[in-house]
Amino acid sequence: MLKIENLKKNYGSFPALKGLNLEIPDGALHGFVGPNGAGKTTTMRILATLMKPTSGTAFVDGTDVVKEGHKARKLVGYMPDFFGVYDSLKCWEYLDFYARCYRIGAAERKRMIRQLLELVQLEEKENEYVDALSRGMKQRLCLARSLIHDPKLLILDEPASGMDPRARAEMKGILRTLREMGKTVLISSHILPELAEMCDSLTILDHGQLVFSGNVDELSDKMNGNAPLDIRLTEGCGGEQVETAVRCLKEMPAVIEITQEEPFLLRIRLENGADVCEDVLRQLIMKGVPVCDFHRAPMNLEKVFMEVTQGA
Amino acid sequence: MLNPIMAFSATRRMRSFKTMLIVIVYVAALLILAIAFLSPFFNDVVYLSTMTRGPLCYLALLAGQFGLLILIAPAMTSASVAGERERQTLDLLLVTNTGSFRIVIGKVMESFAMLALLILCGLPVMSLCLLTGGVSLLHILIGELFLLAEAFACVSIGVFCSSVSRSTVFSGVISYLVILAIGVVTALPFLSGYPQRITDVVYDRAKYAALTAGEARAMISPLLYLNPGFGLMALIQGELHFFSSYAELKGWGRILCTWLMADRAGWIFIALACAAGMLVISAILLGLASLMIRKGTKTIKSN
Ligand SMILES: Nc1ncnc2c1ncn2[C@@H]1O[C@H](COP(=O)(O)OP(=O)(O)OP(=O)(O)O)[C@@H](O)[C@H]1O
Ligand SMILES: [Mg+2]
Repeated sequence: MLKIENLKKNYGSFPALKGLNLEIPDGALHGFVGPNGAGKTTTMRILATLMKPTSGTAFVDGTDVVKEGHKARKLVGYMPDFFGVYDSLKCWEYLDFYARCYRIGAAERKRMIRQLLELVQLEEKENEYVDALSRGMKQRLCLARSLIHDPKLLILDEPASGMDPRARAEMKGILRTLREMGKTVLISSHILPELAEMCDSLTILDHGQLVFSGNVDELSDKMNGNAPLDIRLTEGCGGEQVETAVRCLKEMPAVIEITQEEPFLLRIRLENGADVCEDVLRQLIMKGVPVCDFHRAPMNLEKVFMEVTQGA
Repeated sequence: MLNPIMAFSATRRMRSFKTMLIVIVYVAALLILAIAFLSPFFNDVVYLSTMTRGPLCYLALLAGQFGLLILIAPAMTSASVAGERERQTLDLLLVTNTGSFRIVIGKVMESFAMLALLILCGLPVMSLCLLTGGVSLLHILIGELFLLAEAFACVSIGVFCSSVSRSTVFSGVISYLVILAIGVVTALPFLSGYPQRITDVVYDRAKYAALTAGEARAMISPLLYLNPGFGLMALIQGELHFFSSYAELKGWGRILCTWLMADRAGWIFIALACAAGMLVISAILLGLASLMIRKGTKTIKSN
């Protein structure tokens, strides 16, 4: 559905995107995560034909968004990270205006507006003025607007920012409905755990570069494979025992970092891909170190995010 | 299908009481002007022995509207695109299937419709000039056409400036400057040897009398056809011969002579040519605006 090829964007001499490649299959709910300034909005604006990339291109359903902007606009629904609304317009008029801009016929417009207001649960607000809506409601109205022309690909830039937990839950519900309708959704956020919860697959972006792309389980697997090992010694076993353990660990080439978190808790980091856990344990036991707990420190997604986006 | 931008602004506009107020104030201002010039009062104050009150009233109304349009149009259009940018709704419009040119045209039409409404509401007041004689219906009709063309040009300039500006205020200011610049630049021929050449002919009564319309038109600098003020003067001169009594004067007389030449060339021709000139300027600016409307769009950071 969406294929991004070597996308680059420079603002002046500042490279905001440094050659992004990405492919999203039909019907996927794909999360786009990255810290501030990662280039999420830049990518999304290029996909929405609001900006031309410096080089590279992207295809939506086979349509080149750079060269065939006019065609691409019919396929893409875009919801920016702000909501622009006009005052002195009622909700249905607001939607009707954009429907007209997409040149949708009168009967179809009416049907679509009713359907969308229902989807975003604003039916009762149909005849109210837009500027009288709450922030969350405006956000939902904007979501309805981006769906007015029945696009195949929906691009949502931080749709959950500024929503209370309840509204977030509702947003998730709406996204599920959209997936059932067969739409492909690209959704950006700063918050990895939240996205991981609702998306099938994820892309992590940092400083204009792709750091990770794949499904959520893959991400945790990958990160867990690299998680540090916690080794706890029996409480009160004496300082020399701890020293022995440290000396023993230092001799092993696969161990790249040893920290003493607590008097009897050592945390070690292993070389990428080194499969030497049993070895480490065996060596320690043979040296007579009283190990009472030995496990991988669990990585939560928050940590994964910090880990992945540091120093890239 | 009707341009959605125009249809939608009509909805908003008709909902607001302001629209009604603007029309009332505009017509009232014209009415006051008309009554003042039709009353005997001015005949005593101003030396206008050659003119009857009808043409004087026509002159006042035409020049008054000409000036008002220049004042109103930039104020009205300054927000057209820049305001959408400020409100962050421009992007939402640009991602729809409505192309840049159609957006620009929609913006022009929404303001032009309002100005056209004002001009047409002023028509009954204009026709008061017919009461005292000296002004023909043709004058009034050509005058109206001319004003409509001027309104369109002013709106086009305003929308163009708005589509290259980030802020409404800035857009308004440069609109006025652009209008001023067009007026000044197209009047530059007056600084060259051009007025001299004209006066040489006009002051030679025999030559002037023998001049054909074609010859007279050829003598007028082409740049002047892009000057709205020139068209306005031609309209006023027309068959009303407003400037005739000043033609013998030196200095200003040299410039006024151009309109005596316009007289020979045919005032209808000049007025319509100037109207066409303004439309040409509009077309160029609107083309540019539809190219610029996407360029000026930058990410406005909301966080
Ligand atoms: N119009 C612009 N002119 C110059 N630099 C820009 C412009 N827009 C964005 N940038 C820069 O490009 C980089 C990427 O910006 P972008 O808005 O794509 O980030 P983002 O991932 O959406 O961040 P956020 O999470 O804060 O929304 C940033 O460093 C930003 O400063
Ligand atoms: Mg962003």
